Amino acid sequence: MDFPILTLITFVPLLGSLIVLCMPKEKERLIKQFSIAVSFIPLILSILLWVNLEKGGGIQFEELVAWIPAIRVNYHVGADGLSVPLIFLTALLTTLSLFYSSFTIKNRVKEFFFLFLLLEMGMFGVFVSLDFVLFYVFWEIGLVPMYFLIGVWGGPRREYAAIKFFIYTLVGSVAMLLAIIGIYLNTGTFDIIQAAAMRPFVENFTLGALAFWAIFLAFAIKVPMFPFHTWLPDAHVEAPTAGSVILAGILLKLGCYGFFRVLLPMFPEQFHRFAPIIAVLAVISIVYGAMVSMAQWDLKKLIAYSSVSHMGYVMLGLAAAAFAIGSKDMLTSQAIAMNGAVFQMFNHGIITGALFFLVGVIYERAHTRDLKAFGGLASKVPYYYGIMLVAGLASLGLPGLAGFWGEFFVFRGTFAIAPVYAAVGVIGIVFTAAYILWKVIQHVFLGPFNEKWANLTDMETYEKITLWPLVIFMVLFGLYPPLIVDTINAAMTRLLSGL
Amino acid sequence: MTELYDWVRLIPLFPFLAFAIILLFTQRNQKLSTYLAWAGIGITWLLGWTIVFRAIGDKHVLEEGFRAPIFSIPTGRGLLELGFQVDALTTAMLFMVPFVCLMIFIYSKGYMHGDPRYSRFFAYISLFATGMLGLIVSDNLLLLYIFWEVMGLCSYLLIGFWYEKPSAMKAGLKAFITTRIGDVIMFLGMLLLYSVTGTLSFHEIFSEETLHFLKETTVWLPLVGTVSVAPVIAVLLFGGAVGKSAQFPLHVWLPDAMEGPTPVSALIHAATMVSAGVYLVARMFPIFALLPETASMSVVAFIGGFTALLAATIALAQDDIKRVLAYSTISQLGYMIAALGVGAYVAATFHLITHAFFKALLFLGSGSVIHGAGTQDMMEMGGLRKKMPITFWTFVAGMLALAGVPPFAGFWSKDEILAHAFEEFMHKGVMSWPFFVWLVLSLGALLTAFYMARQVFLTFYGEPRSHHMHAHESPKVMTYPLIALAVFAVFLGFVGVPEEFPVLGPLFGHNLFHHIVGHQYPATPLNWGVMGLSVLLALTGLFLGWLVYGRNPLKEGQPDPMTKLGPVYTLLRNKYYIDEFYSKFIVRPAVALATLLFRFDNSWVIDPFVNLVGKIGVWLSDLGRIFDLNIIDGIVNGVAAVTAWFGKILRLTQTGKAQNYLLVAILTVLLLLGLYLYLPM
Amino acid sequence: MVPLSWFLVLGAALFCIGVYGVLSRRNAIGILMGVELILNAVNINLIAFWRYRTPDHLTGLVFAVFVMAIAAAEAAVGLALIIAIYRTRNTVIVEDVDLLKM
Repeated sequence: MDFPILTLITFVPLLGSLIVLCMPKEKERLIKQFSIAVSFIPLILSILLWVNLEKGGGIQFEELVAWIPAIRVNYHVGADGLSVPLIFLTALLTTLSLFYSSFTIKNRVKEFFFLFLLLEMGMFGVFVSLDFVLFYVFWEIGLVPMYFLIGVWGGPRREYAAIKFFIYTLVGSVAMLLAIIGIYLNTGTFDIIQAAAMRPFVENFTLGALAFWAIFLAFAIKVPMFPFHTWLPDAHVEAPTAGSVILAGILLKLGCYGFFRVLLPMFPEQFHRFAPIIAVLAVISIVYGAMVSMAQWDLKKLIAYSSVSHMGYVMLGLAAAAFAIGSKDMLTSQAIAMNGAVFQMFNHGIITGALFFLVGVIYERAHTRDLKAFGGLASKVPYYYGIMLVAGLASLGLPGLAGFWGEFFVFRGTFAIAPVYAAVGVIGIVFTAAYILWKVIQHVFLGPFNEKWANLTDMETYEKITLWPLVIFMVLFGLYPPLIVDTINAAMTRLLSGL
Repeated sequence: MTELYDWVRLIPLFPFLAFAIILLFTQRNQKLSTYLAWAGIGITWLLGWTIVFRAIGDKHVLEEGFRAPIFSIPTGRGLLELGFQVDALTTAMLFMVPFVCLMIFIYSKGYMHGDPRYSRFFAYISLFATGMLGLIVSDNLLLLYIFWEVMGLCSYLLIGFWYEKPSAMKAGLKAFITTRIGDVIMFLGMLLLYSVTGTLSFHEIFSEETLHFLKETTVWLPLVGTVSVAPVIAVLLFGGAVGKSAQFPLHVWLPDAMEGPTPVSALIHAATMVSAGVYLVARMFPIFALLPETASMSVVAFIGGFTALLAATIALAQDDIKRVLAYSTISQLGYMIAALGVGAYVAATFHLITHAFFKALLFLGSGSVIHGAGTQDMMEMGGLRKKMPITFWTFVAGMLALAGVPPFAGFWSKDEILAHAFEEFMHKGVMSWPFFVWLVLSLGALLTAFYMARQVFLTFYGEPRSHHMHAHESPKVMTYPLIALAVFAVFLGFVGVPEEFPVLGPLFGHNLFHHIVGHQYPATPLNWGVMGLSVLLALTGLFLGWLVYGRNPLKEGQPDPMTKLGPVYTLLRNKYYIDEFYSKFIVRPAVALATLLFRFDNSWVIDPFVNLVGKIGVWLSDLGRIFDLNIIDGIVNGVAAVTAWFGKILRLTQTGKAQNYLLVAILTVLLLLGLYLYLPM
Repeated sequence: MVPLSWFLVLGAALFCIGVYGVLSRRNAIGILMGVELILNAVNINLIAFWRYRTPDHLTGLVFAVFVMAIAAAEAAVGLALIIAIYRTRNTVIVEDVDLLKM
């Protein structure tokens, strides 16, 4: 790779969005086609990136240019086995979302596509940044388009949801900004890799703990972990379909990614000390999220809460790995737990992304998401039923589909380190099965046919095209996990050996 | 020639391909779908039996096993290797599974004829076959668990196949969730095993060093304290078996599973899937038997024995032809589990194989009856013997095999279990669980014979008890599989005749089955007393059945003689009210708790707190607004007002006429010139 | 020979007339004529100083030619502007052209 691939990936969407801005807004077709075409560039580049990634090679594709020399802020980007799958996921979901939206978004088309491309840039930026200031800038950039996506194209309570989302995330961001400045004053660098190597506040545990919790708050809100999760159901329920997909698929991953990239390498000591607290929160997220999901009658809200539960797995794996920092014989279990956590991030992206698309599909037709209003649709819309079934089963962690592996590795890693947490966490698995099969599948598809939906049509071609790639990935990674675990494992082993 | 065994990798593949192709491409074409499914399982059957018959003569494979790796997943610096294998137990299962599956596939063509989702049915059962075949050829616990869950899914889909019926839909869900509870326990066992030994491959787990290591390792459990790790793993893994093999207390899903089409009941809920639980225990038997004096074996024995008796009693009072068989299945699985609990590994495996054949036969037979008679209620049937002769004779063969009448298959396997239990009990004395097992299993044998006799007499003898019964024999595509299975039900037992048995023993290779499967275990010696007793019990049961139901066949409108048992009958008929108990004390509280938590989240605590913080923020900012408006802004406005006043005055000088400005400029220049000239430097 | 001061007095007189014209006339053309007078007063000074002080260098002469060229251009642009204003507003009185004044 002798061209700046990461810069291209990050800024091609920005360029695209600016061009969209210059287009006349009556030419909706052109805007749609152009945006989709633009989003294909990072998608192809991210595949190239993955293919060319040298496993176990640490940070690669680095670019380092001075940006604000006065305070030593650099434009420093790079990628490794942790970020590359997430970059690919971002590119994939954005392309699919744009494609899907080009059929469903009817008003303010130009603004929508402009904001979406801008959002894509923000997400890429977070995943490639290796400089704190750059990281923070991209982190915040992502907020704004999402705020508008919810606030303009959202459902009836969109203003409330958008503001809640924005303010909640901002609270965390501010805490993080303080911590970043503290780290800079302590280490004299904004470079994430360098700062991590220097272990900020290594001489003062208490200050380190303060910085740790400040950054933790920012990421935990984004993940979201219990008890910082209540913005999520509102935001999801009100957001337009593509917004929900990106929100669940990528934005939540930004928080998890932060834990892996920033918090764990930088504060291993604090992370180790506080791992039990985080593990408890993670287990609560898993079980509590699953149970609350089971109590929902709104399909979209149910899936939103299921995200809380599923992201709990990620946090559990991470907490378990941190738990065992310092005991050398646990390296394998740590690596397995972290592999599981990262794999789970990816899986959750494709699975929940697919589920939100599917909710969109039915909502477009029925204009309701009330589970009680459906029934017996399986024969009426068999294609839709089939896809929903696959996505649902992947979500409940059926072996042979992608979701299983994440859960398995997380629990396997955790069990060796902290068996009690794992043992409590697996209760979530039963409830997940219950809410997917009982609430979603049974209430919508099975049972006597509800004659109200006699005119319901099955999935359109564009909807099929949107969902097939996701289904293929669920099956592909489910049947042959080394495809992705190889990449993740190399990065995680390297990360762990540096702690 | 190892190449042949390498083909084991393809065994689960063909049905899977059939599944994928049918589901994706040929759903519209029923005929093609049927043939695809047949081809998938047929090729696998041929391949499987080729491997089986090769392996039987191959001592190396039987003792050491042959492993065919597929892929490995990196775990830190290590690898988690997954693959397939052929060994003794796999060989035995590979003999049974593909053949029974094939028979059921063929049968299904007739039974499912005309169903709107006919093709999808074949896709699902192909996927199911994939699961079962993959399960028996897996060389490690993780892969086994994967296929295990695939079967769970198929079970869900197939039980709820007629999902328009609320009862079917609920039964599917119940099956999935109930077995999932067991699976989660098993999952924990698997995690514990993996964490302790660092491997999930059977080959490595059962190596000398690992077993020795497991023996030495202890684990701390809350409430219990420090215990040996092996029994903990064993009991946790057993949880999966309890769910899948429908043992008490997770047996409740299996009878409801009869809501599915009959071939499904035969395929999944009798012959194959439910035996997966037994297979799991058999497969992990070295761990169960590692410390035989600890809880691992006694728990297994107790659950198995208890279930065997419990289910047999419930079967006495059921009227649905399939439900009787369902409870009989639970009971027979209990036999196998109990057998494993007393250490009768070979006997349990043997019973697993024979039972699969004759239970598949019985279920398909009952399906044929249902197909012909159009009802599942035995109280409406009667006199079908003449109208459905093939079904009748094959059904009787199955019945005798199940009842344990010599020389049918079930006799040999059941007798071996009883003999082994008796042997152990003689060894350990009366106050031991082998005695309990022997006692309840013997009692169970009596009950089994009785309820099977009841079923046969109610169904086939006497006169029809419902006038809209126009029974007819089923088509050939359904009866041929019955005949094939019946042959096995009659003759299969001979592969496991005890070595010492006169004439038959030497004739059939000195207990061939034992040599294939149980080379590492001593054979159970022949015990004439036990054998005699078990034959006596079986015959007594049949005789009692004849006495009550056969001598004077029931007439239309006549009540079941069982009702004379009064409250006992009610209790049995309602399955000891276990379902109601679960519903009231487990399901409803769980749902209520979920609702409660949601309220907690959304209306009571967490979200209101967030909103409160938001409101405080708004209130504070309101306060700020007032302060701002009056004080801060006051100052700012004051400054602005002063500035404006000055501006107003200065404004007067700005006439806007260029000539005025020019005049000022010239005057200024003149003034400056004057100053320059006349002021002293 | 005529002394230098006579030329300077002539130039000063011409300048004063020009300034008076610029400041006092309301007619734009009159103002323009005043400006011309001022420029010509400067020209006279330039030529006079050249002739009497530095006859060897052509600087003063060249400057005078420059000023004449600029005066011509200025007159052309000025007249054009005045004609344009006259066409649109029908007046050449500068006080009437006060669009920018509040």
